[in-house]
Amino acid sequence: MRRYRVSYFIGQALQGIWRNGVMSFASIAVLMSCLVVLGAFTLLVVNINTNLENLDEANKIIVFLDYNLTEEQIVDIERQIKKIKEAETVKRITADEALRSLAKRAGENALLYDDYFKDNPLSDSFEITYDDVKDLTTIEFELQSIEGVRKYRDQRYIVNLISDIKSGVLFVFLWFLVMLFIVSVFIIINTIKLSVYSRKNEISIMRYVGATGWFISLPFILEGAIIGLFASIIAYFVEEYLYKSLVGSLGISIEIITLIPFSELAGGILAVFIIIGVTTGIMGSSISLSKYTKK
Amino acid sequence: MIDFVHVVKTYPNGTVALNDITLHIDDGEFVFVVGASGAGKTTLMKLILREEKVTSGKIIVDDVDITKLSYFKVPHYRRNLGVVFQDFRLFPKKTIYENVAFAMQVVGTPMKVIKRRVPALLKTVNLSEKSKCFPNELSGGEQQRVALARALANNPSLIIADEPTGNIDPKMSLEIMNLLLKINKLGKTVIVVTHEKNLVDYYKQRVVILDHGTIIDDRVGGMYE
Ligand SMILES: Nc1ncnc2c1ncn2[C@@H]1O[C@H](COP(=O)(O)OP(=O)(O)O)[C@@H](O)[C@H]1O
Ligand SMILES: [Mg+2]
Repeated sequence: MRRYRVSYFIGQALQGIWRNGVMSFASIAVLMSCLVVLGAFTLLVVNINTNLENLDEANKIIVFLDYNLTEEQIVDIERQIKKIKEAETVKRITADEALRSLAKRAGENALLYDDYFKDNPLSDSFEITYDDVKDLTTIEFELQSIEGVRKYRDQRYIVNLISDIKSGVLFVFLWFLVMLFIVSVFIIINTIKLSVYSRKNEISIMRYVGATGWFISLPFILEGAIIGLFASIIAYFVEEYLYKSLVGSLGISIEIITLIPFSELAGGILAVFIIIGVTTGIMGSSISLSKYTKK
Repeated sequence: MIDFVHVVKTYPNGTVALNDITLHIDDGEFVFVVGASGAGKTTLMKLILREEKVTSGKIIVDDVDITKLSYFKVPHYRRNLGVVFQDFRLFPKKTIYENVAFAMQVVGTPMKVIKRRVPALLKTVNLSEKSKCFPNELSGGEQQRVALARALANNPSLIIADEPTGNIDPKMSLEIMNLLLKINKLGKTVIVVTHEKNLVDYYKQRVVILDHGTIIDDRVGGMYE
């Protein structure tokens, strides 16, 4: 029965990391930065999404009616609007209410509106909310066929703006990430190469006495995996520190934004970091060994 | 049993190291391979070890054509060979015992077997009392004997020694040669590459003479008879 000791492989791997200290450190540092950036990006996107859901301003259409409509006509329009399936809630705002809220917003200059209250230049309006941005087009199509609707205004631009920001951020981060990962893999390849080189005598003896390819490679694969593991664990703590200090400094000053507490995401972040870190490490050492093990 | 059948080895840079070698070595034989530097002796050994591949021809070892051996089968094939080099290639940071044990660990031999076998091997090469020493505490001849013990570790049936006495003083060389002969008497096939003509003459064994990649003589006895 052939038996191999696990401690042998782990011992060899740790020895390799220790012997090429500088390169191992560089590999860990670069891979760690890469993971921190990935984490920051993920946290940003998750937070944007949650805050978007809270931002009810976005999913709203204001429908302005013709001037001088009778009360019956307005009630009829309301009935027609409420028939639109995609409309979640429909709220009537009378011309007076609209004017009052304008005046209120004007603050000190509210007096300027005094004249208007005698002869209100505004019309009645309806506020429609909906669930999904995709419904917007349907609702607006239906509105066009209702007699007495003068115009309507949606908040599409806000929605578009936010999604533009998201895709812009996504693009920049993705490029940044791809580059960092390439650098990570490249550095790990070289680290393992050095490690192989410093043990080339040992390896040649192993080969002459009939050690199998996997027996020779496993310590190096483990070395890559351990580098990845270290990088991911360090990255996790760096991420936690950065995020918590960000929440600490933003939490007070910006009240309209709700930041998700780190503890809610911690498990997922750690798991993803470890998976990506270890995979990158193993990938680097495999590439580094592939040429060598052909022989 | 080893059979070279019209073996040609050309290196990628165009050097023809071996040209149409046909050679038969029986089980249990002792063979010297001699020739000037660059004659192709080391290349011949590397082909048997499957460290290099033939350009054309066949090499049959124990009924297996090793030129067709897949990458995955090479390690198992090599477990039946023991190799010794001119420069010993011991691990300086391992003791003598650990150097020999390493060859067995690497192929997954159980610890129990290793503990029993290493002392026996060190006894075979007369180094029992040095098992806790490090290589730099040993003379060249002693280091080569450790290498020999390591070559024997996995109980191979063929021993290949490429200029084993090249770095050793003449008196010690004789000791190494005697050991190799002793190993041969134990039933192992032994191939020794050397250019020390006096040794070859002294032992009166089969001698294969290489010159510029071809066998120019193959006979029993010394070179200058
Ligand atoms: N890896 C190699 N690449 C190219 N040429 C080589 C290589 N190894 C050996 N040679 C050449 O092949 C010839 C035979 O070399 P070698 O087998 O080492 O001879 P010997 O061991 O008899 O001195 C020499 O001309 C040598 O320069
Ligand atoms: Mg040579």
